[in-house]
Order: sequence, then structure tokens, then C-alpha cells
Amino acid sequence: MESIDSDEELQQAFAKDVLKPGLNLEVAPKKEFINRKNDMKAVLEKFKQNLDWIERLDLTTKPPAPEEEEEKASPEDKSVHDDFRRELAFYKQVQASVLQVLPKLNRLGIQTRRPDDYFAEMAKSDRHMKRIREKLIAKEISMEKSEKAKKLRQARKFGKQVQVEVLKKRAQEKKKMLEEVKKYRKGQKDKLDFMVDLEDEEKKNKTRRHQTKATQKKEQFMPNKKRQHKNERFGFGGQKKRSKSNTAESFDKMTPVESMMMKQSSRRHPGKKPAAVKKGKKQQRPGKNRRLQNKFRNKNKRRI
Amino acid sequence: MGKRKIARAKKSESLEEEKTENVVVLPSVISSDEPPAKRTKWINKQRVLVFSTRGILAQARHLMNDMKRLMPHSKREPKMDHKDDFRVVNEICETRNCNKCIFFEARKKKDLYMWLSNINEGPSAKFLVENVHTMCELKLTGNCLKGSRPLLSFDEKFDKEPHWKILKELFIQIFGTPNHHPKSQPFIDHVFFFSILDNRIWFRNYSITDELASLTEIGPRFVLNPVRIFEGSLGGPTLYVNPHYQSPNEYRKLLRKKYATKYMGRVSAKIGHEERKLKESYKLDQTNDVFVTVGPGDVEES
Repeated sequence: MESIDSDEELQQAFAKDVLKPGLNLEVAPKKEFINRKNDMKAVLEKFKQNLDWIERLDLTTKPPAPEEEEEKASPEDKSVHDDFRRELAFYKQVQASVLQVLPKLNRLGIQTRRPDDYFAEMAKSDRHMKRIREKLIAKEISMEKSEKAKKLRQARKFGKQVQVEVLKKRAQEKKKMLEEVKKYRKGQKDKLDFMVDLEDEEKKNKTRRHQTKATQKKEQFMPNKKRQHKNERFGFGGQKKRSKSNTAESFDKMTPVESMMMKQSSRRHPGKKPAAVKKGKKQQRPGKNRRLQNKFRNKNKRRI
Repeated sequence: MGKRKIARAKKSESLEEEKTENVVVLPSVISSDEPPAKRTKWINKQRVLVFSTRGILAQARHLMNDMKRLMPHSKREPKMDHKDDFRVVNEICETRNCNKCIFFEARKKKDLYMWLSNINEGPSAKFLVENVHTMCELKLTGNCLKGSRPLLSFDEKFDKEPHWKILKELFIQIFGTPNHHPKSQPFIDHVFFFSILDNRIWFRNYSITDELASLTEIGPRFVLNPVRIFEGSLGGPTLYVNPHYQSPNEYRKLLRKKYATKYMGRVSAKIGHEERKLKESYKLDQTNDVFVTVGPGDVEES
């Protein structure tokens, strides 16, 4: 196997009838590949261009030095087939070369970015770029969805634990509150902490809600900017139908006298509920006369 | 000779003159009849003919169109019908006034070869094109101006061996857009990248998106496996043969052989096993059984 026999030797062996099948292997002749280095150099010299760099724009860079761990994990011949690592190496190499050449381009006065008002045909059409963008967005959305689903699944796993904890927490809070109430009753405390907190929060919430609703309504019925400006300039000659009736806003703005009037007028419509009375004020008991009037009115109603 | 040709010849002559005297000193007085000598900025006149043989696959055609779109100095030509003799390509290039050519050759409706050639003087190189991704693919998200000049970034290995050096020069002359080409744009916003890995040339095209050199890939992508380098244009004496190259036909043959011998191997393994198998597991003394007594328990069991 190891030694290669010449043809003559083989012929002699065949004549002696020593050759048996399986003992000899046919070896393919060694191919010699053409590699005429000197000629290649001459050819290169012949057709090489002697032009400035700006005409040619060529760069050469070293490949990025692989980190030691990476190199150990997979040597070069393996990393060729690892798409992600290969492309990353390419990217780094190109980036290094571009960073190297950018100052040179600046010196020569060549820009890498066109100004925003420079319109020209692009290599890829707008339609194609739109498709690319759509695909990117779709991918992002699907990623988000899958992540959400993952989180939900996780949450479901630990849901029971969480619920137990929440119940414990609630029980604790309740216990604490009861203790405080006890102390308050005994006179050890002059104010209840949690009550104060609650009141504050309520107030804040109310004002906030009110404001937001009002602004929302305003925005809903606002005309566009152009129309607003025109209205300011020429006066708004449109609808007068509902200008005299009150709105929630005008009601808030009313002077005390006006509001009193409103209350009286509402009394003429017994079907309507009176406006909600503020909690802070005590409801005054009507006078004797009025109470009697009310009584009669109610009786009449029943008869009817 | 037609009028146009004469005019063209005259033009080229005048251009050559300008090349030789790069700095033209204008005389102080010019007669009104003769026009003043112009200083053309467009010196590097490369014209590349990009075309193919008949029977190329759709993807290869798209790749070809991408090349045409990215190279403003390219010209197009209908698909060629000749199958064997590529010397016609030289003539076609000459008639189209091109001095370089990218020629795609399709074989068996499967394989794509690319010829890069310096017309007439040579050299030329033949590659097998593998792993093609065109610019149409949606995962390549970058974009650049049509006709802007590319930077040509090369791997360090291109300067090590003479055959890589020749290929590098060919790439520079063919893929580089000449400065001040009338169809080109005055910005440089993308990079052609040539790398050598696994004895092949990997082509990538990135757009430069900002000053910090963050890049996005535009495409196309392909891998060139060099086959041969010739001294002439699309033929002539061979300068270099790639020892690592395996033709796709050979590769497919090997694959087929591997599958074909799978069954044979299994059968022969079975036969070999039968042959090697001993009839007895090990030698037993026949007299061992003499003193074995049969108890009542054994009888019940049986």
C-alpha cells in the first residue's frame, strides 16, 4: 500500500502470478496545477492602472482579530459555515476600513451623505423600500406578541404564588388598620393615618378627572387651526341655537346668584333630580311654609 | 467607415492627446474659429459590458440586473446564443466600445459561471458563482443612490499571492465606478467588500449610513469560486488553476455515488457479519451436564 510500484515491477509480478485481487490499489496520477507566478507578476505590471487613489477608491484591511475564546470554540474553517459569525466579522472589517477612509474622503471634499434636498433615483425603488419597512414592522410586532405571550405564560406559572401573597398582604393591611382604629378609640392617636391618605387621594383624583374630561370635550368640538384663526378674525357667524343654554363649563363659572336661580328653576321640573349636593355642606331644612307646600304638592301628585 | 466611426476615432485621438498633456496651458490669444481645449475630469474611461448566455436562471438574471443597476459605467447586451466559442464575446465588446466585461455563463440550467475580462489585452478569470442573494431580498434593508461610486474594500489576503493580486486589480478596474462619470453621483455612500475565506471570494455590498460608519447591507451577495485565470481575454494560455476547485458536476457525482453505495454497503456489512460470526460462543465441556440432577421444583416448572 505504502510503496508505489512501477509498471515494470507490476508486469513481472503478474508474469510470476503473484498478483492477487485486493493486494494492489490503483493510484490516480498526481495532478499538477498550473501556477505561473512570474508570468502573473508580469501580466499584472502590464495591465495595472497608474491612477490617483480617487480614481480607484480601493482599500485593504486586516480581518478583525478574533477573541481567544471564540477562536478556541471554532477555528476559521468552521466559522465559514457559521453564518452569523461570518457576517459579523465581515461587518466589523468593513466598518474598520470605512472609519479608516472617512477622514481621507473629508480631506478630498467628498461627502458620504447627500444633503436632504438632493433628490435622485435610488438603487432600490420607493415601492421596494416600503415593502422592506412593512416587513420590518411586522417582524417587530410579532416579536412583541411572542414576548407578551411568554410573559403571560410565566405569570400563569407563578400566578398561584402571587395570589397567596396578595391575600396575605391584604390581611396584614386589614390587621394594621384595625389596630390603628383601636388606638384611635382609646384616644392614643388623634388622627387616623389611612383616613387622611384616602381623603387626599380622593380629592386629587376628582380634580384630575374633571380636568381631563373637560379638556377632552373641548378638543373634540374644536374646529381646525385655520378655522379658529378665521373665526377670530372675522367672527363666527354660525350656530346660535345652543348658545343660550348652559353647559357644564358655564355651570361651573356661574355666580352664586345665578346658581341659586338655577336651583329654583329646577324646582319647577320635579321630574329631574336635583344637582348633586356637595358633601361638605349640611343640607338645610326648609322652613315651615315650604315644607307644607311640598307636602300638598306630593299629595296632589298621588291623586293624579 | 461610417461618419460616426470617423467622428469617434477623432474623439478618441483627441482624448489621448489630453491624457498625455495633463496640464494644458491656454494661450493668451485664441482665434475665434478654434474652440478652446477642454480639460475633461473624466479620465478613467472604463466601460463594462454586462451580459450572459441563454438559459440562465431567474435568480442569476436578477443578479445581473443588480450589477447593471449598481454600475453606471456598464452597458447591456442581449443574451448570447453561442455555446462554445467565447471569442465572439471579445468582438461583441469591441462593437459596443467596451474595454471590460462581466459575462455570465449558464450551464445545465443549474450552474452559473462568471467571466471577468480585460478585453483584448487580458487577463481574464473564470469563477463559479455560488450562494447568490439578490438585491430584491427583503432581508437586505439598505439603500443607496443609483450610480454613486462605491468604495472597494479588500481583505488583506489579496496582497499575498500573485493570483489574488491579479484578481484584485481586475475587480478594481471592473467594479469601480470611474470618477466624474457622467451617470455617476458625486457622493460615496456604499462599499463593495471582497473577502477571501475558504479559498473563495465573498462579495458584499454595504451602505454607509452615518459618520460613525454604521452599515446596512444592500445586496447582492455572492461567493466566487475561482476556476482559472487566463493570460488572454476569455481564453489563451492559463496562468493559474485553482487546486481547491471542484466542479459542480463532480460534486453532484460524488453525492449520487454516496447515496448509491449506501444500500450496497449495508448488504455487504450484513454478509460480512454473518461470515465473521462464530458458531459457538465459546468452547464448552460436554461432560459438564453429567452431574446435573433434576429436582422436583424443576419438573413442576417445566
